[in-house]
Amino acid sequence: MSSCVLEEESFHRCCQLLLQQSQQLGDGWSWEPVQGSQEGYLRKTALRSVAIDPRPVRDQAGSSSDCGQEEEQSAPVASADADTIRSDAEDEDDEDEGVCAACDGGSQVLQYEYHVLFSCSYRTPVLYFRASTLEGRSLSLEEVWGSVHPNFRVRLQSSPLSTVTQQEHPLLGQPFFMLHPCRTEEFMRPVLQAAQDQHRPVNYVLTWLSVVGPVVGLDVPLQYSTQLHPAASVCMDPADDGPG
Amino acid sequence: MASDTSGAASSAADLKLQFAPFSSALEAGFWHQLTQKKLDDYRLDESPKCIKGYYYNGDPVGLPTRLTLEFSAFDVDGPTPARCCPAIGTLYNTNTLDAFKTADKKALLEKEAKEIWDAIQSGAALKDPSILCRFILLTFADLKKYHFYYWFCFPALCFPEGIKIVQQPSVLEQVFSAKQIAALQEAYDGLCLRRETSAVPYFLMKYTDDTVQLAPLGDWDTFFTDTKKVTVGVYDPCTLSQHPGWPLRNLLVFLANRWGSKLDTVEVLCFRDRTLQGSRSIQHSVVFQVKLPDLPDNSVCPKSVGWEKNPKGAMGPRMVNLSECMDPKRLAESSVDLNLKLMRWRLVPTLDLDKVVNTKCLLLGAGTLGCNVARTLMGWGVRHITFVDNAKISYSNPVRQPLYEFEDCLGGGKSKAMAAVDRLTKIFPGVNSEGYNMSIPMPGHPVNFSQATLSQAQRDVEQLEKLISEHDVVFLLMDTRESRWLPTVIAANKRKLVVNAALGFDTFVVMRHGLKKPPVSPKVSAGADSSPSCSSASSSSSTPAGSVPSIPGSSLFSNIPGHKLGCYFCNDVVAPGDSTRDRTLDQQCTVSRPGLAMIAGALAVEMMVSILQHSEGGYAVASSSDDRMNEPPTSLGLVPHQIRGFLSRFDNVLPASLAFDKCTACSPIVLDHYEREGFHFLSKVFNSSHSFLEDLTGLTLLHQETQAAEIWDMSDDESI
Ligand SMILES: [Zn+2]
Repeated sequence: MSSCVLEEESFHRCCQLLLQQSQQLGDGWSWEPVQGSQEGYLRKTALRSVAIDPRPVRDQAGSSSDCGQEEEQSAPVASADADTIRSDAEDEDDEDEGVCAACDGGSQVLQYEYHVLFSCSYRTPVLYFRASTLEGRSLSLEEVWGSVHPNFRVRLQSSPLSTVTQQEHPLLGQPFFMLHPCRTEEFMRPVLQAAQDQHRPVNYVLTWLSVVGPVVGLDVPLQYSTQLHPAASVCMDPADDGPG
Repeated sequence: MASDTSGAASSAADLKLQFAPFSSALEAGFWHQLTQKKLDDYRLDESPKCIKGYYYNGDPVGLPTRLTLEFSAFDVDGPTPARCCPAIGTLYNTNTLDAFKTADKKALLEKEAKEIWDAIQSGAALKDPSILCRFILLTFADLKKYHFYYWFCFPALCFPEGIKIVQQPSVLEQVFSAKQIAALQEAYDGLCLRRETSAVPYFLMKYTDDTVQLAPLGDWDTFFTDTKKVTVGVYDPCTLSQHPGWPLRNLLVFLANRWGSKLDTVEVLCFRDRTLQGSRSIQHSVVFQVKLPDLPDNSVCPKSVGWEKNPKGAMGPRMVNLSECMDPKRLAESSVDLNLKLMRWRLVPTLDLDKVVNTKCLLLGAGTLGCNVARTLMGWGVRHITFVDNAKISYSNPVRQPLYEFEDCLGGGKSKAMAAVDRLTKIFPGVNSEGYNMSIPMPGHPVNFSQATLSQAQRDVEQLEKLISEHDVVFLLMDTRESRWLPTVIAANKRKLVVNAALGFDTFVVMRHGLKKPPVSPKVSAGADSSPSCSSASSSSSTPAGSVPSIPGSSLFSNIPGHKLGCYFCNDVVAPGDSTRDRTLDQQCTVSRPGLAMIAGALAVEMMVSILQHSEGGYAVASSSDDRMNEPPTSLGLVPHQIRGFLSRFDNVLPASLAFDKCTACSPIVLDHYEREGFHFLSKVFNSSHSFLEDLTGLTLLHQETQAAEIWDMSDDESI
């Protein structure tokens, strides 16, 4: 069943079509080439304002991992250090009447970053992601789950797709979370089979993304599938597999 | 401050224009990239660097007005994300925290403000208005702790008397018809197309009831033929309906400086352009009617403001601790934890990982078994691992003992206990490991040659007692039978869980020792646990042991509770100390098949983990081979008493056996003597021949009765 795996070339074609649609829909996907190589990845960032849970996420130095206790103790001291630094400019700045009163509070903004890469070993797309505060501190996986609604969380964690591991981003060398691709082929097979039966073109990357994305809070608007396909959008031409 | 312009009651004349300041927004990749730059490129160079951020006018309501820097911030000539406006900034990265603290923020701000002012006066801002929207970033990167100190400044030139607006701001759809809005959108897209960009920060605007025309700022003189009505557009990152964002601020100074003499009021379109679920809208843009103030002296740079407040609302820098995501040691820890949690999330939801991770393990023996047990414990995330061994690493060791290398054998060899700790720490810095290079006194190995040897033995015993007290699980992994005796006695006395592993050539046993019930009262303890062992041996026709009812040779006995289970010595009919009699297991004189230690070491740890998952722990009823079909007692499955493996057949069996009331290690009489006499009793055991323990427990008598000396070796037939 060669139709259930994805060749790198098809991956790139699927990505190009997804990018075209994203541009029309203003969905924010971009292609990030890696300097000095043919490789690259799809990237999207999203901001989400979450209600402040006073316990885990808020403390900028905080870690809610199970075994960072000592470090947590020492961190507030260090941040107090930052507070003691004063500015000469501040007295005058306080008088700035051109600033509107701050109206945030009660919520915290988190930045999510999603990358889609091609895995040569699994021959599937792989979703990497991380979330950070506006200070640029990456969240632990508990904190990421913590920002998901509790009802949803249980379902996600018990989902067969939720094999999340921490991995170095193969192109950036920075720590990311990765949705492990070990079961991708398994859940893509019926989808592709159905498309093949109905002689329907299917964008492997888009279809895959609409399944795995929601697990980590990545929204794939319905318009992608309702939008009229250009004829060229046959990424995984089911006919490839047949004798003719 | 709190009641601002939104108060509709105030008369229009009093309305002051107030701007939503930028909030700095850094993506995780920015700090990674700064770290790389500092290490590879800047090093000690503190000179200002050019960096790039961007802002966006398409946010949903509720998000703060942000200036974002991501990992590409250092690539100033690189592309800006689609539909975003670039902002160029100056990075001052100091080498010390002190330099960061003492940096002259006022001077930095004034320097940047002067550059903006110069661009306004020279007209450079007309050609490239993006110069109006600049920023400063002051940083100090503490790369030992991965603490990053930073302070942003978004320089804004000020009118001394503020800025008045002549009427309440309006939302675009209130003042523009649908037709005009559509025309504006089309005109904006056309302007972007002409400028070969996807966002234009500032533009000029003319409109009628049907048409909208836009032009770049530089076309002012040709675009506006008269200045009765002037409309300027600003790409506005703010989402508040009553306030413009920061980029308008310097534009107004620019307009006042350049055309202030001709202009009284200016209409400002704060252009906002968002797409939600595939549909685009600009009708929520905001229109302000601004009375352009005079600049008192057109030749002097106005006062400037712009340092960002910290999250507490005070004027001060921010600090972010990134050790979790950048310190390799912390990364290793969180990755290890995450892997284990996966097992819980995915496969065993009821798994109590904390119980495993927090278990303190004492490994007696750092040889073939010790090395493998330690590695498997690490795999389970166990953080507290202590080694006891008195041997040095020899040339034959590294190939079988995975914590050692050839180099460790040189110069007489390193101490195993110490080298094992070093290696564990190298494998995983988060481990809390200690090594004790000490020997364990053994029965039949006298310690009374001199006062010195005697007191050394006493110190060793005390040390071992202390270590066993301080740990939760004791692993017996030595290569002699005799050396297991003392820790068996001490651990039985202290009610510590013992997991024992021993190897033959191609057979092994991994077992947990029976965990004696907590002492009720000193009087009753003797005999309470050792009700006359009712052996099931009679059912095992293959062994002559059937004729000796009080010895549990191979038991098919089911449902033996943990406190009635035997120890390693319970199957012996000779006291330890006589290696010539029984050495089927223990490899002193034999060599095992190389895979055996890995199998047995791994099983020892897995057995411990299963026991820990049982609500009764070491008191859990022993599972037997017969239970393999039944509902398992723990989320991980069975909790056997023993696992006996036969590599020749690739087969394991799970026998369970009762404690033997004449056992030389765990019988009540031995434990009583130890409890009452302590070292005095132990030294008698060390210094006497093996007959001392045999006499004490009644084994001698037993020998005379049965003469079945060798049959208690592990028999392949038992339990099957
Ligand atoms: Zn015993």
